[in-house]
Amino acid sequence: MSPSKKDNMLYVGIDLGTSRSVVCASNGNRKWVDSYVGWPKDFVARKMLGKRVLFGSEALEHRLALELSRPLRNGVITEGTERDEAAVHELIDHLVELAGAGPDEELCIAVGVPAEALKVNKIAIRNAVARHAKKLMVVSEPFSVAYGLGTLDNTMIIDIGAGTVDFCIMHGTVPSEEDQRSITMAGDYVDEQLLKLLSEKHPEADFSLNTARKFKEKHGFVGDSKRRVKIEAPVDGKFTEFDITNEIRKACESTMPAVVETAINLIASFDPDFQESVRNNIVVAGGGSQLAGLDTYLTEATKPFGPCKITCITDPLFAGADGGLQLAIDMPEEFLEKL
Amino acid sequence: MTSIIHLHSVPDPAAFSRRARGLMDHHTETKQQVLRGVFEDNAGIPRTFHGRGRLRSGAGGRPASRHPYRQRVTLVVFLGLLALFGFSFRMVTVDSNGPVAMQLAALPPDLLTEPGNAFPGSAPPAGTPSPRPDRGAPVTTGQYDAMLAHLGIPMADLFNLRIRTIVIDPGHGGIDPGARGRHGLKEKDVVLDIAKRLRDKLAGYGKYRVLLTREDDRKVYLKQRVAFAKEHHADLFISIHINALPAGSPDLDYVETYYFGPDADAHSLALAERENRDSDYLIGDFRKVIARIGDTLKTEESKQLAGFIHDRLYRNLRRLNPGLLDAGSKTGPFVVLLGVEVPSVLVEVSCISNPAEEIRLGKPGYRDKVADYLKTGIVDYLEQRARHRTIQRGTTEHVAEQER
Repeated sequence: MSPSKKDNMLYVGIDLGTSRSVVCASNGNRKWVDSYVGWPKDFVARKMLGKRVLFGSEALEHRLALELSRPLRNGVITEGTERDEAAVHELIDHLVELAGAGPDEELCIAVGVPAEALKVNKIAIRNAVARHAKKLMVVSEPFSVAYGLGTLDNTMIIDIGAGTVDFCIMHGTVPSEEDQRSITMAGDYVDEQLLKLLSEKHPEADFSLNTARKFKEKHGFVGDSKRRVKIEAPVDGKFTEFDITNEIRKACESTMPAVVETAINLIASFDPDFQESVRNNIVVAGGGSQLAGLDTYLTEATKPFGPCKITCITDPLFAGADGGLQLAIDMPEEFLEKL
Repeated sequence: MTSIIHLHSVPDPAAFSRRARGLMDHHTETKQQVLRGVFEDNAGIPRTFHGRGRLRSGAGGRPASRHPYRQRVTLVVFLGLLALFGFSFRMVTVDSNGPVAMQLAALPPDLLTEPGNAFPGSAPPAGTPSPRPDRGAPVTTGQYDAMLAHLGIPMADLFNLRIRTIVIDPGHGGIDPGARGRHGLKEKDVVLDIAKRLRDKLAGYGKYRVLLTREDDRKVYLKQRVAFAKEHHADLFISIHINALPAGSPDLDYVETYYFGPDADAHSLALAERENRDSDYLIGDFRKVIARIGDTLKTEESKQLAGFIHDRLYRNLRRLNPGLLDAGSKTGPFVVLLGVEVPSVLVEVSCISNPAEEIRLGKPGYRDKVADYLKTGIVDYLEQRARHRTIQRGTTEHVAEQER
């Protein structure tokens, strides 16, 4: 980590994600939380839980006693929903608290948000962060990932999140709208497809969206695989083993045609002189990058459009927040003064 | 991983060193440009550099002008504003032969034609094209208010809002006293008094038929209350109750408002069980009414009504009783709410087990205030609903026009 420019300045990178939110600070703190915010439904629940607001897995665990919000569930703060806006405020408050700033430390925060949220909710997110830091930046998630990796030129970032898949071409500057695309067939869509396929094939078993998500995160893959995926699910209260290899593959591959098509279209809109460079620098980030066999599958799928080199990053959870932190640290002092 | 430095074997180490240095300088330069871009983006400054690679008309690697993009953005914003004003126009467009249009025709010409008062929904004479500038002109809320005040048309009537009959249901009665305070005050008496006061206040508006499910101290089964609402074609149903905590509980005082929903916490379930006693429903009937849970429109309306009533009641009562707690507006499986097919809520006004509150509830002045706050919540809901319907109507017509 680079040294801080000021002794009393704490630099913070936040990745405000649909599924998970992450914070990395220049004091070495690196924390994450599932992007759920819950308020006790009534004073009885408040007394039982002993907290005004709960976050992440704790909120999910007590969801029956809570008004639960997943504020960026579609990649944006749903318009006109005060509860989601309040949840974003709470989530940012919580993440800043997790950063662990000292009492005298001034904060400089860079927040990465889904590309659509940057377009639609930038001011709302700025206002939420401005309560903690006068020096702040809001950027798109794929951009903060690219900045953290140092891939600033002729690179395409494909950020496969829960709510959206964001595509972004870096060409030595902050990407404009022309350099970005978003599709909503993302992680949540895969979960829904998987639940549908499992319920159709094994109507006798009890599956939920939550279990489907867990199966995907643990066993998700695309392309050919010799490994069989076997899971256990309750049938009339008794745990029974099921082979879900075909279902999980079909669900995980359901978004791939849209991903390939969007990536190729975006590359095709780029200057032909630089298209080959971009093809050789395609980086897949976000939780979806962890699907087994994804790089090979995408390389094969994009072959008809010309050879592409595709790499999946190794630490998708922290990549966005690390990039935000690096951005905050690198931002020249003269710019910071005016932010 | 980087796309900036591609290392490969170079025969001349000095040449390699120069090249590597050059690439590093380029990388630093790129980074500076990116940082400036982020700064400009976040400081709201138009960007000055646009990088390489994007399709451009010019040659020589110079960045393409962003003006076409800005122009497109400006065009989109302009079209958006135009659509918005067009939308505003559609929102209040009325049938040119309808009664409202006839009343509009009777308006003084200055109200319709003066630029400051221009009302875009004023129907022109048949066959006369309306001048576009008037249609597209922005309209302020004040202008609508001025128009409505002049016409003397209530908002609800103007937009054909058909809420006419409000049924108020004072809980319990007769042999069922409901909750009882430590000094002997009974829920059934308090809620009947509040209900009568609320009826008088709402009836004072002159446009609602307000009915009570019981006018005196007698037992009315929940099924009879539901049947009463149906028989009289209720448009809104408000059940009034007073809460109580079991003996030995803390002396809490709180307001809570319910609308029907299957989700409920343990506290709400216990309360619902108590209020559902003597429902006189057969299991077959109950199954039928349970099947109506999917009636989301009713649920949405009930939720809003509950929200308004709860908000007005709590905020006002809090001024009289600073220790009052807000238990919220929420769902609960109350039979009386389920059976009624129109927006319906159950208000637990306060907590009679709290001795201080029991004393307050015993005073007519306090009960009158409670009735007043309930009335405010109901009326505010109706006004809000009128506004909402206005917008919905505008949206539907706007889309229909586009489809044509």
